Amino acid sequence: MTAAESNGLWQSLYQGRTAFVRYWAYIGLMLGAVGLALFGGDGYTENGYIFQLVGQDGLMWLGTGALLAAGLAIGVSVLRPEIVNGHIPKMMVSWFDGGALMLVLMGLLTILEPSGAMVSYEDQTNLFAGHVIMTMNVLFLFSGICYIAYLFAPESFIGSMATATAWGGLYAGGSSLLLRWYESYLFMDGEIGHAPVSNIYEVFILLFCIVTIIYLQWEKRYEAKAMGAFVMGLVAAGVFFAIWLESVGQAEIKPLVPALQSYWMKIHVPLNFVGYGAFAVACGAGMAYLTRMWLEARGSKMVAVFPSLEALDQLAYKSVAVGFPAFTLATILGAAWAAEAWGGYWSWDPKETWALIVWLVYGAYLHVRISHGWHGKTLAWWTVIAFLVTVFCFLGVNMYLAGLHSYGRLS
Amino acid sequence: VIARHDAADFGGYHAAMSHLSDYLKPILLRLGSMSLAITLLTVLALASVIGTVLLQNQDQTDYLQQFGPIWYWVFRSLGLFDMYHTWWFMSLLGFLMLSLSVCLYRNIPRFLKEMRSSKVALSDSAMKHMKHVQHWDMKGQNAETVLEVAKNRLKEWGIRQETRGDIHYIRADKGSKHKWGYIFVHSAMLIILIGGWMSVQFGFRGNMSVPVGGKESEISFLKGTSTEYMKMPFEVRANDFSIDFYPNGMPKEFKSNLTIIDNGKEVLTSDIIVNEPLYYKGVRIYQASFGDGGSNIHMKLLKLDGSSDVENVQAKVYTTFKDEKTGVSLEMTDFRPHNVENMAEAGQAKDFQDLGASVDFVLRGPGLKPVKIRSFIEPFVLNDENRGSFMQVSFSGDTGDFKSMPLGLDLTNPKEWEMLQRFIAHLGDADLSNPQKANMQAFKAAMHDVFGDERPENFQAMAMRVLQAVQVIPRLPWPYIPVLDDYDQKYYTGLQLTTDPGMNVVWIGSALLVIGLCIMLYVSHRKLWLVVRQKDNQLNISFVGLSNRNPLNFKREFNEILIAINEDMQKLKQGETL
Repeated sequence: MTAAESNGLWQSLYQGRTAFVRYWAYIGLMLGAVGLALFGGDGYTENGYIFQLVGQDGLMWLGTGALLAAGLAIGVSVLRPEIVNGHIPKMMVSWFDGGALMLVLMGLLTILEPSGAMVSYEDQTNLFAGHVIMTMNVLFLFSGICYIAYLFAPESFIGSMATATAWGGLYAGGSSLLLRWYESYLFMDGEIGHAPVSNIYEVFILLFCIVTIIYLQWEKRYEAKAMGAFVMGLVAAGVFFAIWLESVGQAEIKPLVPALQSYWMKIHVPLNFVGYGAFAVACGAGMAYLTRMWLEARGSKMVAVFPSLEALDQLAYKSVAVGFPAFTLATILGAAWAAEAWGGYWSWDPKETWALIVWLVYGAYLHVRISHGWHGKTLAWWTVIAFLVTVFCFLGVNMYLAGLHSYGRLS
Repeated sequence: VIARHDAADFGGYHAAMSHLSDYLKPILLRLGSMSLAITLLTVLALASVIGTVLLQNQDQTDYLQQFGPIWYWVFRSLGLFDMYHTWWFMSLLGFLMLSLSVCLYRNIPRFLKEMRSSKVALSDSAMKHMKHVQHWDMKGQNAETVLEVAKNRLKEWGIRQETRGDIHYIRADKGSKHKWGYIFVHSAMLIILIGGWMSVQFGFRGNMSVPVGGKESEISFLKGTSTEYMKMPFEVRANDFSIDFYPNGMPKEFKSNLTIIDNGKEVLTSDIIVNEPLYYKGVRIYQASFGDGGSNIHMKLLKLDGSSDVENVQAKVYTTFKDEKTGVSLEMTDFRPHNVENMAEAGQAKDFQDLGASVDFVLRGPGLKPVKIRSFIEPFVLNDENRGSFMQVSFSGDTGDFKSMPLGLDLTNPKEWEMLQRFIAHLGDADLSNPQKANMQAFKAAMHDVFGDERPENFQAMAMRVLQAVQVIPRLPWPYIPVLDDYDQKYYTGLQLTTDPGMNVVWIGSALLVIGLCIMLYVSHRKLWLVVRQKDNQLNISFVGLSNRNPLNFKREFNEILIAINEDMQKLKQGETL
């Protein structure tokens, strides 16, 4: 099979009836999951649900939902063939595919999990997710190196290797988080199970994945591979920090303090990290912009590898445009949670205040860009410095300042 | 770039404010200006940083200690210890509101006008400035057909048509309502600030501590540097407070059972936990903290004057017991029913163990250094081996500085205490020229005094403990050893009570903010023009595009539409029907 043919086959997966039926099958699958939560077994329990999902009940409900929806979609597409074009958001199909693949990977990995007798809260060294996370670390590090090497050897296979390892790391990271979620139910009678977004180590893995997925979208759509050296470089630097965290015992699954026992945690934290992740990508684009400018001034030949200054400027803006509404919504939802748990939506707690500062910094970025038409070098610097402020908000505040968010602290 | 923008702006608001007196105009202009807004935001951000670095609402004495009298006075007069409620911080927010209002007042009419009226025709000079322009000529078609073909392709766009002389214009718009994004976002920020002001002005937020079994109707809160009190329209009685622990000693759940008493009548009884507050008469009641509510403490004072006397003492947490004879006082500061610690060595699998109940007190007396002591009720048992009672001692008075002090003896066993006393007494009588023999004899004599001819169980281990204790206990500077003996625990539950009339306003503003942002960032206003000019037997066609956002995607979209229209034209040429 030639490259063009395989490309065509790949594309046909995302077109016409194949994509249409698959899209509705996923929707049916999700409805099945909702149905299982509402009506299945003994009703929804936070502790039991994840096991229901991967068990026989889950297979029945999710399978039925998916099959029914797929059947309906096939029926409709036979009766009215023109409906398969343009009536589904094509992008969603690939996102669903990715999500499903991560779930399947996680399901397969549970097989490798040691028997119940070999794991306990006191001794978590036998849990398997650690190995998957290490795989992710290695892949991201390798990817970062490849992207940097790509700048010097754009014609070689290193570029495709960089992209492939970034995808690999993304799937390893995503499935390791899911696996960790599953693992948190394996001891203490499932009493301490919780979503893997409760401490700094877990959110770092989430952050890597979010940065990578946003970057890979830009790479796919706008051919901005040179930017990867900077974005994946940031991720690789983060990997070192995560490895250090693990070495000082921050990687253990610990029970949730009462303040965190809320469904809000599952919404507030990931959404916040969509914001942080997008800001990191913006920072990468900004750095790429500045580097290209510097290379141009020196008359270097490497400039040819980079996307145009205009494209880099746009990509930085696009990333902020993804991150800013997510960050805004996350902060608002955080306020809603605070109103529910602490009795006030805003307490001027250090984390809240720094979130406000980050919001103001990116708000000002958007302001000068949209209303004043600024762009170029100043804004490239802006994305870089604003990201430093962001890093202080999600890391520095936990390390240096006390406050209500102190459970995120390094101890 | 700024200069150009401002110049354009001035034109806009002169029109909007022509009825205002000339005197007010420059002030309003300044207030609504972008540079003031950015300055305000910057100052606000920098001021906020101070409040996160300087811990807010701490004890005044702590501040005084930390900064010394001069800086304390400076910081205090600037209100930096409760910074977010000072007049100057409030005025900053007030200025921001004013600036937002002026900005909205100035721009809304302009935006609305722009959205309503936009020209269909496109002048040649305007066309030259457009980034996306394509010209081509066509023969053998009439203009009407071309226009129909284009309109057919632009079905999903808002289309308007105009003919001026022999030039036909089609204008197609998408996302023309995107200016609502600006309006939403800026009004949302204003609404949120108004909501925040309402919360501060008409709401309250305070704490109350209710001992289990007790009632309370007053909340306390900090205002500036002083604590103020406020009466609630009801009373809260705490019926119960309980903590659930995880096996590793981390708290799992704090739960209070509360009864609301209104006008002497019990109206409502309910459990509250963290994240699930109670709501009554517009007031939300949250589980915020807990502590000792004055537990009854029973202590033994083991006299060190050689009399082997034991005195029994009753006290409550937060009270002070004073021994009149010696002048030594014990100020009870805290009580803990559980002390779960990891007993494993570093690097080994964790081993959590409950060391049992403890009481904290400060021991003071004439000629004694004040010292904070944590006394445990149980002896320390490691690997099933009784290592004797122990206490933690802190000379700084800070619980972080606690150092373990093993006493050797198991003080829960009165016989052991007696043994030690007898042993010390006999040692005094013994011939000290041969210490080993003297020890042996004294111990035997003490055994005989306490147990007669019987041998207690594990007496070997006990002998070890006594020999260890004799190294420690006689050296203690205190007249007695205070040991926790029994307790009747009582918690207080710490509640936070709030009303917040501004909260819903804030939520409305927040929703508007997110919607506005999405419109502003994701809806780009895209405009296409098709200009068809009839010239002799030929059509001059221009296809022009403009987008205010997302040029990368628009370039692609523009080209796709251009190719599609072109294809349709080709088909027409070949006589096909569409």
